[in-house]
Amino acid sequence: MTQLKDKDPLGKVIVITSGKGGVGKTTSAAAIAAALAKRGHKTVVIDFDVGLRNLDMIMGCERRVVFDFINVIQGEARLKQALIKDKRLDTLSILPTSQTRDKDALTQDGVEKVLNELKEQFDYIICDSPAGIERGAQLAMYFADEAVVVTNPEVSSVRDSDRVLGLLASKTKRAEDEGTEVKAQVLLTRHDQRRVDAGEMMTIDDVLEILAVPLLGVVPESPAVLRASNVGMPIVLDEPSEASRAYEAAVARLLGEEVDMSMSKEKKPGFFSRLFGAPA
Amino acid sequence: MRTEPFQVRGRFLTAIAIRIDVESPDESFYAALDEKIKTAANLLIGAPVLLDLAAVPGLVSRDLLHNVIRAIRSKGLLLFGVQNANPQQKALAEELGLIQVLIGRDTPLQQPTRAAPPRRQRLVEPPENKIIRRHVRSGQMVVAERGDLTIVGSVSSGAEVVASGNIHIYGTLRGRAMAGATGDASARIFCSKLEAELLAISGLFKTSETIDSDLRGCNVQAFLEDETLCIERFV
Repeated sequence: MTQLKDKDPLGKVIVITSGKGGVGKTTSAAAIAAALAKRGHKTVVIDFDVGLRNLDMIMGCERRVVFDFINVIQGEARLKQALIKDKRLDTLSILPTSQTRDKDALTQDGVEKVLNELKEQFDYIICDSPAGIERGAQLAMYFADEAVVVTNPEVSSVRDSDRVLGLLASKTKRAEDEGTEVKAQVLLTRHDQRRVDAGEMMTIDDVLEILAVPLLGVVPESPAVLRASNVGMPIVLDEPSEASRAYEAAVARLLGEEVDMSMSKEKKPGFFSRLFGAPA
Repeated sequence: MRTEPFQVRGRFLTAIAIRIDVESPDESFYAALDEKIKTAANLLIGAPVLLDLAAVPGLVSRDLLHNVIRAIRSKGLLLFGVQNANPQQKALAEELGLIQVLIGRDTPLQQPTRAAPPRRQRLVEPPENKIIRRHVRSGQMVVAERGDLTIVGSVSSGAEVVASGNIHIYGTLRGRAMAGATGDASARIFCSKLEAELLAISGLFKTSETIDSDLRGCNVQAFLEDETLCIERFV
Protein backbone atom coordinates (compact mmCIF):
# COMPACT_ATOMS: atom_id res chain seq x y z
CA MET A 1 0.00 0.00 0.00
CA THR A 2 2.77 2.39 0.78
CA GLN A 3 4.22 2.14 -2.69
CA LEU A 4 0.82 2.96 -4.14
CA LYS A 5 0.82 6.33 -2.45
CA ASP A 6 3.68 7.37 -4.70
CA LYS A 7 1.55 7.32 -7.80
CA ASP A 8 -2.02 8.20 -8.60
CA PRO A 9 -4.37 5.25 -8.66
CA LEU A 10 -5.11 3.90 -12.14
CA GLY A 11 -8.87 4.32 -11.83
CA LYS A 12 -9.87 1.82 -14.49
CA VAL A 13 -13.51 0.79 -14.61
CA ILE A 14 -14.19 -2.79 -15.72
CA VAL A 15 -17.73 -4.09 -16.07
CA ILE A 16 -18.49 -7.79 -15.67
CA THR A 17 -21.60 -8.40 -17.72
CA SER A 18 -23.38 -11.10 -19.71
CA GLY A 19 -27.01 -10.44 -20.56
CA LYS A 20 -28.13 -13.84 -19.42
CA GLY A 21 -28.51 -14.63 -15.75
CA GLY A 22 -26.86 -17.51 -13.90
CA VAL A 23 -23.77 -17.70 -16.09
CA GLY A 24 -21.36 -16.72 -13.33
CA LYS A 25 -21.11 -12.94 -13.42
CA THR A 26 -20.97 -12.39 -9.69
CA THR A 27 -18.62 -15.32 -9.12
CA SER A 28 -16.38 -13.96 -11.86
CA ALA A 29 -16.56 -10.38 -10.56
CA ALA A 30 -15.54 -11.59 -7.10
CA ALA A 31 -12.76 -13.80 -8.47
CA ILE A 32 -11.36 -11.13 -10.79
CA ALA A 33 -11.48 -8.45 -8.10
CA ALA A 34 -9.78 -10.74 -5.58
CA ALA A 35 -7.12 -11.82 -8.07
CA LEU A 36 -6.34 -8.19 -8.93
CA ALA A 37 -6.15 -7.31 -5.23
CA LYS A 38 -3.92 -10.31 -4.57
CA ARG A 39 -1.48 -8.88 -7.09
CA GLY A 40 -1.34 -5.70 -5.03
CA HIS A 41 -3.70 -3.52 -7.06
CA LYS A 42 -6.12 -1.46 -5.04
CA THR A 43 -9.43 -2.90 -6.15
CA VAL A 44 -13.07 -2.30 -5.37
CA VAL A 45 -15.96 -4.43 -6.57
CA ILE A 46 -19.42 -2.83 -6.84
CA ASP A 47 -22.71 -4.69 -6.84
CA PHE A 48 -25.06 -3.13 -9.42
CA ASP A 49 -27.73 -5.78 -8.94
CA VAL A 50 -29.99 -3.61 -6.79
CA GLY A 51 -32.67 -5.60 -5.03
CA LEU A 52 -30.96 -8.96 -5.52
CA ARG A 53 -27.72 -8.38 -3.73
CA ASN A 54 -25.44 -11.39 -3.91
CA LEU A 55 -21.95 -10.06 -4.20
CA ASP A 56 -21.55 -9.46 -0.46
CA MET A 57 -22.47 -13.11 0.16
CA ILE A 58 -19.98 -14.42 -2.38
CA MET A 59 -17.38 -12.14 -0.80
CA GLY A 60 -18.39 -13.32 2.67
CA CYS A 61 -19.14 -9.90 4.07
CA GLU A 62 -22.94 -9.86 4.14
CA ARG A 63 -23.05 -9.40 7.90
CA ARG A 64 -20.88 -6.30 7.71
CA VAL A 65 -23.18 -4.32 5.41
CA VAL A 66 -24.45 -1.15 7.08
CA PHE A 67 -24.65 1.42 4.32
CA ASP A 68 -24.74 0.60 0.63
CA PHE A 69 -24.21 1.92 -2.91
CA ILE A 70 -27.77 3.30 -3.04
CA ASN A 71 -27.34 5.15 0.25
CA VAL A 72 -24.26 6.81 -1.20
CA ILE A 73 -26.00 7.72 -4.47
CA GLN A 74 -28.91 9.23 -2.56
CA GLY A 75 -26.62 11.15 -0.24
CA GLU A 76 -27.66 9.26 2.88
CA ALA A 77 -24.15 8.01 3.57
CA ARG A 78 -20.61 8.87 2.59
CA LEU A 79 -18.69 6.53 0.32
CA LYS A 80 -16.22 5.78 3.11
CA GLN A 81 -19.04 4.54 5.33
CA ALA A 82 -20.38 2.18 2.68
CA LEU A 83 -17.08 0.65 1.50
CA ILE A 84 -16.32 -2.63 3.23
CA LYS A 85 -12.68 -3.60 3.52
CA ASP A 86 -12.02 -7.25 2.85
CA LYS A 87 -10.60 -9.04 5.87
CA ARG A 88 -8.31 -11.28 3.80
CA LEU A 89 -6.80 -8.70 1.45
CA ASP A 90 -6.24 -5.13 2.53
CA THR A 91 -6.15 -4.00 -1.11
CA LEU A 92 -9.70 -5.23 -1.70
CA SER A 93 -12.93 -3.37 -0.93
CA ILE A 94 -16.56 -4.15 -1.59
CA LEU A 95 -19.35 -1.68 -2.27
CA PRO A 96 -22.52 -3.67 -1.63
CA THR A 97 -25.93 -2.77 -2.93
CA SER A 98 -29.33 -2.52 -1.35
CA GLN A 99 -31.65 -5.50 -1.03
CA THR A 100 -34.73 -3.38 -0.39
CA ARG A 101 -34.64 -0.86 -3.25
CA ASP A 102 -34.90 -1.50 -6.97
CA LYS A 103 -32.90 -0.48 -10.00
CA ASP A 104 -34.75 2.81 -10.38
CA ALA A 105 -32.77 4.01 -7.38
CA LEU A 106 -29.69 4.11 -9.64
CA THR A 107 -29.21 7.39 -11.45
CA GLN A 108 -26.65 8.10 -14.13
CA ASP A 109 -25.35 11.19 -12.34
CA GLY A 110 -25.22 9.34 -9.03
CA VAL A 111 -23.30 6.40 -10.52
CA GLU A 112 -20.87 8.74 -12.25
CA LYS A 113 -20.22 10.67 -9.05
CA VAL A 114 -19.52 7.51 -7.04
CA LEU A 115 -17.27 6.08 -9.78
CA ASN A 116 -15.30 9.32 -10.01
CA GLU A 117 -14.76 9.28 -6.28
CA LEU A 118 -13.65 5.63 -6.41
CA LYS A 119 -11.24 6.40 -9.26
CA GLU A 120 -9.31 8.66 -6.92
CA GLN A 121 -8.69 5.79 -4.52
CA PHE A 122 -8.59 2.58 -6.54
CA ASP A 123 -6.64 1.12 -9.45
CA TYR A 124 -9.46 -1.16 -10.56
CA ILE A 125 -13.17 -0.65 -10.14
CA ILE A 126 -15.03 -3.86 -10.96
CA CYS A 127 -18.73 -3.38 -11.70
CA ASP A 128 -20.80 -6.52 -11.20
CA SER A 129 -23.70 -6.03 -13.60
CA PRO A 130 -27.18 -7.43 -13.08
CA ALA A 131 -28.54 -9.82 -15.69
CA GLY A 132 -30.63 -8.42 -18.51
CA ILE A 133 -30.15 -5.38 -20.66
CA GLU A 134 -32.32 -2.96 -18.72
CA ARG A 135 -31.43 0.09 -16.71
CA GLY A 136 -29.26 -1.63 -14.09
CA ALA A 137 -27.14 -3.42 -16.68
CA GLN A 138 -26.88 -0.33 -18.87
CA LEU A 139 -25.73 1.84 -15.96
CA ALA A 140 -23.21 -0.79 -14.91
CA MET A 141 -21.59 -0.68 -18.34
CA TYR A 142 -22.13 3.01 -19.16
CA PHE A 143 -18.93 4.35 -17.59
CA ALA A 144 -16.76 1.29 -18.27
CA ASP A 145 -13.28 1.46 -19.79
CA GLU A 146 -13.23 -2.28 -20.39
CA ALA A 147 -15.72 -5.11 -20.32
CA VAL A 148 -15.57 -8.77 -19.47
CA VAL A 149 -18.48 -10.61 -21.04
CA VAL A 150 -19.18 -13.80 -19.14
CA THR A 151 -20.57 -16.52 -21.38
CA ASN A 152 -21.47 -20.18 -21.03
CA PRO A 153 -20.87 -22.40 -24.04
CA GLU A 154 -24.52 -22.70 -25.00
CA VAL A 155 -26.55 -20.89 -27.66
CA SER A 156 -28.84 -18.72 -25.56
CA SER A 157 -25.98 -17.44 -23.42
CA VAL A 158 -23.87 -16.72 -26.50
CA ARG A 159 -26.69 -14.86 -28.18
CA ASP A 160 -27.33 -12.73 -25.08
CA SER A 161 -23.62 -11.97 -24.87
CA ASP A 162 -23.70 -10.89 -28.49
CA ARG A 163 -26.57 -8.53 -27.65
CA VAL A 164 -24.55 -7.10 -24.77
CA LEU A 165 -21.52 -6.63 -27.03
CA GLY A 166 -23.75 -4.57 -29.30
CA LEU A 167 -24.78 -2.39 -26.35
CA LEU A 168 -21.15 -2.02 -25.26
CA ALA A 169 -20.37 -0.72 -28.73
CA SER A 170 -23.15 1.86 -28.69
CA LYS A 171 -24.65 2.58 -25.26
CA THR A 172 -21.61 3.57 -23.26
CA LYS A 173 -20.07 6.92 -22.45
CA ARG A 174 -17.03 6.04 -24.53
CA ALA A 175 -19.17 5.22 -27.55
CA GLU A 176 -21.41 8.25 -27.14
CA ASP A 177 -18.77 10.87 -26.33
CA GLU A 178 -15.67 9.67 -28.13
CA GLY A 179 -17.06 7.25 -30.67
CA THR A 180 -14.65 4.61 -29.39
CA GLU A 181 -15.67 1.15 -28.33
CA VAL A 182 -15.25 -0.24 -24.86
CA LYS A 183 -12.61 -2.97 -25.08
CA ALA A 184 -14.56 -6.18 -24.59
CA GLN A 185 -13.27 -9.69 -23.96
CA VAL A 186 -15.14 -12.90 -23.40
CA LEU A 187 -14.71 -15.09 -20.36
CA LEU A 188 -16.07 -18.55 -21.01
CA THR A 189 -17.32 -20.13 -17.78
CA ARG A 190 -18.80 -23.51 -16.87
CA HIS A 191 -16.84 -25.09 -19.70
CA ASP A 192 -17.01 -28.87 -19.66
CA GLN A 193 -14.72 -30.60 -22.14
CA ARG A 194 -16.50 -33.92 -21.80
CA ARG A 195 -19.81 -32.38 -22.76
CA VAL A 196 -18.14 -30.55 -25.65
CA ASP A 197 -16.73 -33.86 -26.85
CA ALA A 198 -20.15 -35.44 -26.52
CA GLY A 199 -21.54 -32.69 -28.72
CA GLU A 200 -23.74 -31.32 -25.93
CA MET A 201 -21.88 -28.07 -25.57
CA MET A 202 -20.53 -25.49 -27.99
CA THR A 203 -16.82 -25.53 -28.64
CA ILE A 204 -14.67 -22.56 -27.71
CA ASP A 205 -14.07 -21.92 -31.40
CA ASP A 206 -17.82 -21.84 -32.11
CA VAL A 207 -18.36 -19.29 -29.38
CA LEU A 208 -15.47 -17.11 -30.48
CA GLU A 209 -16.53 -17.23 -34.08
CA ILE A 210 -19.95 -15.87 -33.18
CA LEU A 211 -18.84 -13.28 -30.66
CA ALA A 212 -15.74 -12.16 -32.57
CA VAL A 213 -13.98 -10.66 -29.56
CA PRO A 214 -10.78 -11.81 -27.84
CA LEU A 215 -10.92 -14.66 -25.36
CA LEU A 216 -9.94 -13.65 -21.84
CA GLY A 217 -10.07 -17.13 -20.41
CA VAL A 218 -11.85 -20.43 -20.04
CA VAL A 219 -13.08 -21.44 -16.60
CA PRO A 220 -13.98 -25.10 -16.31
CA GLU A 221 -17.15 -26.29 -14.62
CA SER A 222 -15.92 -27.18 -11.15
CA PRO A 223 -17.38 -28.10 -7.81
CA ALA A 224 -14.76 -25.80 -6.29
CA VAL A 225 -16.71 -22.78 -7.60
CA LEU A 226 -19.89 -23.78 -5.81
CA ARG A 227 -18.05 -24.67 -2.62
CA ALA A 228 -16.21 -21.37 -2.55
CA SER A 229 -19.34 -19.32 -3.08
CA ASN A 230 -21.17 -21.24 -0.36
CA VAL A 231 -18.55 -20.32 2.17
CA GLY A 232 -18.28 -16.73 0.99
CA MET A 233 -14.79 -17.06 -0.38
CA PRO A 234 -13.75 -15.68 -3.76
CA ILE A 235 -12.51 -18.73 -5.65
CA VAL A 236 -8.98 -17.41 -6.10
CA LEU A 237 -8.57 -17.07 -2.33
CA ASP A 238 -9.78 -20.60 -1.71
CA GLU A 239 -7.54 -23.62 -2.07
CA PRO A 240 -6.06 -24.00 -5.55
CA SER A 241 -8.30 -25.57 -8.15
CA GLU A 242 -8.52 -25.63 -11.90
CA ALA A 243 -11.13 -22.89 -11.72
CA SER A 244 -8.98 -20.65 -9.53
CA ARG A 245 -6.00 -21.13 -11.87
CA ALA A 246 -8.23 -20.22 -14.80
CA TYR A 247 -9.30 -17.00 -13.11
CA GLU A 248 -5.70 -16.14 -12.19
CA ALA A 249 -4.73 -16.63 -15.84
CA ALA A 250 -7.67 -14.54 -17.03
CA VAL A 251 -6.64 -11.70 -14.73
CA ALA A 252 -3.06 -11.92 -15.96
CA ARG A 253 -4.38 -11.51 -19.50
CA LEU A 254 -6.63 -8.67 -18.37
CA LEU A 255 -3.47 -6.91 -17.19
CA GLY A 256 -1.91 -7.42 -20.60
CA GLU A 257 0.32 -10.38 -19.77
CA GLU A 258 0.71 -13.09 -22.35
CA VAL A 259 -0.49 -16.33 -20.86
CA ASP A 260 -0.76 -19.42 -22.96
CA MET A 261 -4.42 -20.35 -23.31
CA SER A 262 -3.65 -24.06 -23.13
CA MET A 263 -2.61 -23.61 -19.50
CA SER A 264 -6.25 -23.61 -18.52
CA LYS A 265 -6.86 -26.72 -20.55
CA GLU A 266 -3.77 -28.86 -20.00
CA LYS A 267 -5.21 -30.66 -17.00
CA LYS A 268 -8.02 -31.93 -19.17
CA PRO A 269 -8.04 -35.62 -20.02
CA GLY A 270 -8.80 -34.81 -23.64
CA PHE A 271 -5.45 -33.60 -24.90
CA PHE A 272 -6.33 -35.06 -28.28
CA SER A 273 -9.71 -33.42 -28.29
CA ARG A 274 -7.89 -30.14 -28.51
CA LEU A 275 -6.34 -31.28 -31.76
CA PHE A 276 -9.69 -32.42 -33.05
CA GLY A 277 -11.40 -29.28 -31.84
CA ALA A 278 -8.98 -26.99 -33.65
CA PRO A 279 -10.16 -25.72 -37.02
CA ALA A 280 -8.32 -27.10 -40.02
CA MET B 1 -62.94 26.03 -24.52
CA ARG B 2 -62.84 27.96 -27.76
CA THR B 3 -60.84 26.41 -30.52
CA GLU B 4 -59.18 28.50 -33.18
CA PRO B 5 -60.81 28.47 -36.59
CA PHE B 6 -57.52 27.38 -38.15
CA GLN B 7 -54.45 25.38 -37.33
CA VAL B 8 -50.89 26.12 -38.28
CA ARG B 9 -48.98 23.21 -39.77
CA GLY B 10 -45.48 22.99 -41.17
CA ARG B 11 -45.31 21.61 -44.70
CA PHE B 12 -42.43 20.64 -46.91
CA LEU B 13 -43.01 20.51 -50.61
CA THR B 14 -40.96 19.55 -53.56
CA ALA B 15 -40.83 22.11 -56.34
CA ILE B 16 -39.30 22.04 -59.76
CA ALA B 17 -36.91 24.81 -60.71
CA ILE B 18 -36.54 25.90 -64.30
CA ARG B 19 -33.19 27.56 -64.73
CA ILE B 20 -33.15 30.10 -67.52
CA ASP B 21 -29.84 30.09 -69.34
CA VAL B 22 -30.46 32.78 -72.00
CA GLU B 23 -30.65 36.44 -71.12
CA SER B 24 -33.38 37.18 -73.67
CA PRO B 25 -35.69 34.22 -74.18
CA ASP B 26 -36.77 34.05 -77.81
CA GLU B 27 -38.69 31.69 -80.09
CA SER B 28 -36.16 28.89 -79.72
CA PHE B 29 -36.52 29.13 -75.91
CA TYR B 30 -40.27 28.66 -76.15
CA ALA B 31 -39.90 25.83 -78.66
CA ALA B 32 -37.48 24.05 -76.30
CA LEU B 33 -39.89 24.62 -73.43
CA ASP B 34 -42.71 23.05 -75.43
CA GLU B 35 -40.51 20.08 -76.26
CA LYS B 36 -39.50 19.59 -72.64
CA ILE B 37 -43.07 19.73 -71.41
CA LYS B 38 -44.05 17.14 -74.00
CA THR B 39 -41.32 14.69 -72.97
CA ALA B 40 -41.67 15.19 -69.24
CA ALA B 41 -45.34 16.00 -68.87
CA ASN B 42 -45.72 13.68 -65.86
CA LEU B 43 -43.04 15.49 -64.02
CA LEU B 44 -43.93 19.05 -64.89
CA ILE B 45 -47.69 19.41 -65.24
CA GLY B 46 -49.32 20.21 -61.95
CA ALA B 47 -46.04 20.54 -60.07
CA PRO B 48 -45.12 23.73 -58.23
CA VAL B 49 -42.52 25.52 -60.35
CA LEU B 50 -39.83 28.08 -59.64
CA LEU B 51 -37.82 30.19 -62.03
CA ASP B 52 -34.13 30.03 -61.29
CA LEU B 53 -32.47 33.25 -62.40
CA ALA B 54 -28.95 32.41 -61.23
CA ALA B 55 -27.55 32.24 -64.76
CA VAL B 56 -29.24 35.38 -66.08
CA PRO B 57 -28.55 38.38 -63.86
CA GLY B 58 -29.09 40.53 -66.96
CA LEU B 59 -32.67 39.44 -67.50
CA VAL B 60 -34.31 42.53 -66.04
CA SER B 61 -36.77 43.45 -68.78
CA ARG B 62 -40.31 43.50 -67.44
CA ASP B 63 -41.77 42.47 -70.81
CA LEU B 64 -39.38 39.56 -71.38
CA LEU B 65 -39.95 38.16 -67.92
CA HIS B 66 -43.68 38.68 -68.18
CA ASN B 67 -43.71 36.73 -71.47
CA VAL B 68 -41.80 33.86 -69.94
CA ILE B 69 -44.19 33.69 -67.01
CA ARG B 70 -47.23 33.79 -69.27
CA ALA B 71 -45.80 31.12 -71.55
CA ILE B 72 -44.97 28.77 -68.68
CA ARG B 73 -48.34 29.21 -67.03
CA SER B 74 -50.19 28.70 -70.31
CA LYS B 75 -48.65 25.22 -70.54
CA GLY B 76 -50.31 24.19 -67.29
CA LEU B 77 -47.31 24.62 -64.99
CA LEU B 78 -47.95 26.14 -61.57
CA LEU B 79 -45.32 28.86 -61.47
CA PHE B 80 -45.21 30.53 -58.07
CA GLY B 81 -41.82 32.03 -57.44
CA VAL B 82 -38.26 32.88 -58.33
CA GLN B 83 -34.96 31.94 -56.78
CA ASN B 84 -31.46 33.38 -57.05
CA ALA B 85 -32.93 36.72 -58.16
CA ASN B 86 -30.87 39.89 -57.84
CA PRO B 87 -32.57 42.88 -56.18
CA GLN B 88 -33.81 44.26 -59.48
CA GLN B 89 -35.23 40.90 -60.54
CA LYS B 90 -36.74 40.43 -57.11
CA ALA B 91 -38.67 43.71 -57.34
CA LEU B 92 -39.81 42.81 -60.83
CA ALA B 93 -40.92 39.33 -59.79
CA GLU B 94 -42.92 40.72 -56.87
CA GLU B 95 -44.62 43.13 -59.24
CA LEU B 96 -45.55 40.19 -61.47
CA GLY B 97 -46.98 38.25 -58.54
CA LEU B 98 -44.09 35.82 -57.92
CA ILE B 99 -42.53 35.26 -54.52
CA GLN B 100 -38.83 35.14 -53.81
CA VAL B 101 -37.84 31.70 -52.52
CA LEU B 102 -34.67 31.35 -50.51
CA ILE B 103 -33.22 27.89 -50.78
CA GLY B 104 -30.34 26.84 -48.61
CA ARG B 105 -29.19 23.96 -50.73
CA ASP B 106 -30.07 23.56 -54.34
CA THR B 107 -28.89 20.96 -56.71
CA PRO B 108 -28.08 22.06 -60.22
CA LEU B 109 -30.52 21.01 -62.84
CA GLN B 110 -29.22 18.97 -65.69
CA GLN B 111 -28.16 20.96 -68.71
CA PRO B 112 -31.23 21.48 -70.89
CA THR B 113 -29.41 19.88 -73.84
CA ARG B 114 -29.59 16.51 -72.14
CA ALA B 115 -33.06 15.13 -72.64
CA ALA B 116 -34.27 13.74 -69.33
CA PRO B 117 -35.70 10.24 -69.54
CA PRO B 118 -39.41 10.67 -69.00
CA ARG B 119 -39.90 7.65 -66.77
CA ARG B 120 -39.35 7.53 -63.02
CA GLN B 121 -38.17 11.10 -63.04
CA ARG B 122 -39.37 11.59 -59.49
CA LEU B 123 -36.65 9.29 -58.17
CA VAL B 124 -33.68 11.25 -59.39
CA GLU B 125 -32.20 11.72 -55.93
CA PRO B 126 -28.90 9.83 -55.75
CA PRO B 127 -28.95 6.58 -53.75
CA GLU B 128 -27.57 6.62 -50.26
CA ASN B 129 -25.51 3.47 -49.93
CA LYS B 130 -24.31 2.46 -46.51
CA ILE B 131 -21.16 0.67 -45.42
CA ILE B 132 -20.97 -0.75 -41.92
CA ARG B 133 -17.46 -1.71 -40.86
CA ARG B 134 -18.29 -3.75 -37.78
CA HIS B 135 -20.35 -6.72 -36.72
CA VAL B 136 -24.08 -6.24 -36.52
CA ARG B 137 -24.91 -7.84 -33.21
CA SER B 138 -28.02 -9.52 -31.87
CA GLY B 139 -30.78 -6.97 -31.32
CA GLN B 140 -29.25 -4.41 -33.64
CA MET B 141 -30.87 -3.31 -36.87
CA VAL B 142 -29.20 -1.55 -39.77
CA VAL B 143 -31.29 0.01 -42.51
CA ALA B 144 -30.24 1.52 -45.83
CA GLU B 145 -33.44 3.26 -46.82
CA ARG B 146 -32.32 4.31 -50.25
CA GLY B 147 -29.59 2.13 -51.66
CA ASP B 148 -27.27 -0.77 -51.02
CA LEU B 149 -26.04 -1.97 -47.66
CA THR B 150 -22.56 -3.41 -47.27
CA ILE B 151 -21.49 -5.03 -44.02
CA VAL B 152 -17.80 -5.71 -43.50
CA GLY B 153 -18.32 -8.14 -40.65
CA SER B 154 -20.88 -10.67 -39.56
CA VAL B 155 -24.58 -10.30 -38.87
CA SER B 156 -25.44 -12.12 -35.66
CA SER B 157 -28.41 -14.27 -34.96
CA GLY B 158 -31.18 -11.94 -33.80
CA ALA B 159 -29.87 -8.99 -35.82
CA GLU B 160 -31.58 -7.47 -38.83
CA VAL B 161 -30.17 -5.81 -41.93
CA VAL B 162 -32.53 -4.10 -44.35
CA ALA B 163 -31.91 -2.28 -47.63
CA SER B 164 -34.00 -0.91 -50.45
CA GLY B 165 -31.22 -2.13 -52.76
CA ASN B 166 -28.74 -5.02 -52.53
CA ILE B 167 -27.17 -6.36 -49.34
CA HIS B 168 -23.54 -7.46 -49.28
CA ILE B 169 -22.17 -9.21 -46.23
CA TYR B 170 -18.45 -9.91 -46.01
CA GLY B 171 -18.84 -12.26 -43.09
CA THR B 172 -21.33 -14.77 -41.77
CA LEU B 173 -25.01 -13.99 -42.05
CA ARG B 174 -26.72 -15.56 -39.04
CA GLY B 175 -29.55 -13.07 -38.62
CA ARG B 176 -32.13 -11.70 -41.01
CA ALA B 177 -31.45 -9.91 -44.26
CA MET B 178 -34.11 -8.11 -46.27
CA ALA B 179 -33.14 -6.64 -49.62
CA GLY B 180 -35.38 -4.74 -52.02
CA ALA B 181 -37.38 -3.69 -48.99
CA THR B 182 -39.27 -1.01 -50.93
CA GLY B 183 -40.26 -3.43 -53.64
CA ASP B 184 -37.22 -3.75 -55.90
CA ALA B 185 -37.47 -7.31 -57.20
CA SER B 186 -34.05 -7.09 -58.85
CA ALA B 187 -32.27 -6.63 -55.51
CA ARG B 188 -29.92 -9.37 -54.35
CA ILE B 189 -28.34 -10.57 -51.12
CA PHE B 190 -24.72 -11.68 -51.14
CA CYS B 191 -22.92 -13.21 -48.18
CA SER B 192 -19.66 -15.04 -47.66
CA LYS B 193 -21.20 -17.56 -45.29
CA LEU B 194 -24.87 -18.40 -45.06
CA GLU B 195 -26.32 -19.33 -41.68
CA ALA B 196 -29.32 -17.03 -41.98
CA GLU B 197 -32.52 -17.08 -39.97
CA LEU B 198 -34.33 -15.36 -42.81
CA LEU B 199 -33.63 -14.07 -46.30
CA ALA B 200 -36.14 -11.79 -47.99
CA ILE B 201 -36.19 -9.96 -51.29
CA SER B 202 -39.03 -7.62 -52.12
CA GLY B 203 -41.24 -9.31 -49.55
CA LEU B 204 -40.61 -12.91 -50.67
CA PHE B 205 -38.74 -14.81 -48.02
CA LYS B 206 -37.17 -18.06 -46.93
CA THR B 207 -36.49 -19.01 -43.33
CA SER B 208 -33.73 -21.24 -41.99
CA GLU B 209 -36.17 -24.14 -42.19
CA THR B 210 -36.82 -23.71 -45.89
CA ILE B 211 -33.27 -22.89 -46.93
CA ASP B 212 -31.59 -25.92 -48.49
CA SER B 213 -29.26 -27.33 -45.86
CA ASP B 214 -26.56 -27.97 -48.47
CA LEU B 215 -26.18 -24.21 -48.78
CA ARG B 216 -25.45 -23.72 -45.10
CA GLY B 217 -21.99 -22.35 -44.50
CA CYS B 218 -21.49 -21.53 -48.19
CA ASN B 219 -20.89 -18.25 -49.93
CA VAL B 220 -24.09 -17.53 -51.78
CA GLN B 221 -26.24 -14.99 -53.51
CA ALA B 222 -30.00 -14.83 -53.26
CA PHE B 223 -32.24 -13.34 -55.94
CA LEU B 224 -35.75 -13.50 -57.33
CA GLU B 225 -36.56 -15.47 -60.44
CA ASP B 226 -40.14 -15.99 -61.56
CA GLU B 227 -41.43 -14.77 -58.22
CA THR B 228 -39.34 -17.38 -56.42
CA LEU B 229 -36.50 -16.73 -54.05
CA CYS B 230 -33.45 -18.57 -55.39
CA ILE B 231 -30.21 -19.14 -53.50
CA GLU B 232 -27.09 -20.06 -55.43
CA ARG B 233 -23.53 -20.84 -54.46
CA PHE B 234 -20.72 -19.02 -56.12
CA VAL B 235 -18.60 -21.49 -58.01
